[in-house]
Amino acid sequence: MTRTVPPAIPILDSDIQDFADMSAALTGFQSSVLKPALDPVGLAREYYVFAVQQVGESAMATLVNAYRAIKTQPAQQIADTLLETSGASPSSQAQLAQSIVAMWYLGSWYVPGVLGGGGFAPPPLQVISSAAYTNGLAWRVMQSHPMGYSQFTFGYWSQAPGPLSSFGVNTGNGGGGQ
Amino acid sequence: MRRLIFLLAATLLVPARPQTPPPIVLSPIIPGDVNVTATTVSIDTFQPDFDVYSWNTFIALNWPPAANGNGDPNQTIGQNGDNDTVWEHYRDVSDIFLPGGARPTWNAPMPIPNACKVLNKGNLEVVTQIGKNLLTPAVVSAMSQPFNTGPIIDQNGVYTRFQILVNKTMFDYILANSLYSKAGQKAFTPPVNFTSGSIDNNGKTLVEGAIMVKSAWKVIAAADKARFHSQDVLVYSPASKNPKYPAKCMMKTVGLVGLHVGHKTQSAPQWLWSTFEHVDNVPTDADVKSGKLNAQYNYYNPGCKTCKVNQIPPRPWNPTKVSAFHSQIVRMNQFNLPIYAASAAARNSDAQKLLLGVNPKSVWANYELISTMWPTDPKQPFGAPAPTFLANTTLETYIQGTVPNVSSNCIECHNNATMTVPVPSDFTYVLQRAQ
Repeated sequence: MTRTVPPAIPILDSDIQDFADMSAALTGFQSSVLKPALDPVGLAREYYVFAVQQVGESAMATLVNAYRAIKTQPAQQIADTLLETSGASPSSQAQLAQSIVAMWYLGSWYVPGVLGGGGFAPPPLQVISSAAYTNGLAWRVMQSHPMGYSQFTFGYWSQAPGPLSSFGVNTGNGGGGQ
Repeated sequence: MRRLIFLLAATLLVPARPQTPPPIVLSPIIPGDVNVTATTVSIDTFQPDFDVYSWNTFIALNWPPAANGNGDPNQTIGQNGDNDTVWEHYRDVSDIFLPGGARPTWNAPMPIPNACKVLNKGNLEVVTQIGKNLLTPAVVSAMSQPFNTGPIIDQNGVYTRFQILVNKTMFDYILANSLYSKAGQKAFTPPVNFTSGSIDNNGKTLVEGAIMVKSAWKVIAAADKARFHSQDVLVYSPASKNPKYPAKCMMKTVGLVGLHVGHKTQSAPQWLWSTFEHVDNVPTDADVKSGKLNAQYNYYNPGCKTCKVNQIPPRPWNPTKVSAFHSQIVRMNQFNLPIYAASAAARNSDAQKLLLGVNPKSVWANYELISTMWPTDPKQPFGAPAPTFLANTTLETYIQGTVPNVSSNCIECHNNATMTVPVPSDFTYVLQRAQ
């Protein structure tokens, strides 16, 4: 997929916040982890802009608006609705939601709706950035770190990993907007 | 720290708005910690407070010292143009980790290498007279940068030299826990936990925490003394086998070109990292591309159109000789948010005006803050530092950039530090020097 022209209008902070809150529900992480108040990396903005460049402003706005309509619901319910987990074949909107989940977990962009053999994802279009790679949520769920880049203190391997909650995983029923 | 947590909780979703940080002050008191005055929580609003902290630290560290080594409240920084400084009376790490693991003392005279003793004869009498190392000319020897990434050679072909010193708070912790020797480190019960600086609710220093100061110096001519903080030192090159050259010592006047300060504080268990440079060091990458260049720089030749930038000097490295290779260094853009450069520029302007107000010939107005790195999430081992990358072109010349684990990031790098035994050393590599 070729990149579309970046959005001409300024991106509102409220859009980024809603995108982060929606992503929290989709990924099972706390929104404050995906978009902290003190955010030196800015992944939520980077991912939002990147996704809009890939699928266009309209598709992204439709998905975020769908989230806004149900954002007061429990996180699991929001995820089930947006990902259409009860349906046999997800719509293009749900496929975009899947790509956003993959983006957060793997730091890479997978074209919506394109799946590989056996249900596995094909090679990604691209790793979005070095920050995306090192901050992929997959590492947190593994209670681990990417190859060649550890954020732990020397000797961490001799100790049991901390609980998932210490990695920002939402272990309760919440998720969106926390 | 409590204030930071309170602000985070109270204003989590309040949008950021421009805010003026407190003024930089002429004071000999080293800030015990950052005083976060921003009332909205964002990098944009917090960074200026950290940069004010850095300039206040720079001013206090470079304040004229009293006999006890602390800043003399009866003097002012730069009142005579240049001055002796507080941090230059800290202990050089080479005088802490002594042969055989001997116990160091804070006021012991600096050991003078044999090759330097003839040159230092007159000054040793001065040391004897005052009984402490205050007037001992410093011996600067290190000529390669961290991780041996290579030396930096000025436009006269002379190698730049480096020093690392620690304050008494840090020295006392090393001494009290016998961390100055390998045997002491082996017997030590972890964790290493240096003293943290702190402030009260009004921003007044309660405790000065452990401080490390790394400095970079270039040899200067007498005519250049008006532009640099300078001192006469013994420039010592230990004997080398490869390339082969004997030990050499020269008395030279050197000018300060880089100053990197790490301070462990209550709000920053990953330490606060402030990095300063001389304003004449290098152009930025943007300056080069736009052609907006000064007539000369310490580490860049505007007239050389074919010189490759940011190249490690070719081996062999022989600091006893004048090199035909001159470093052509450019400051690369390392920031992902505009606030870092904007805040540093605003604070530099304020501080330089303040210093020129003391004396229009103050050498201290010729220094600039590059940025301050601080942990945005101190609970995490790395602390999610802001900015993500920060390099001083005199100290981390060849690791500028934005590649994780490769480009310069103070906290990320120092998080890997251990003692001579495999135990984390609380963000300092100096303990690895124990013998």
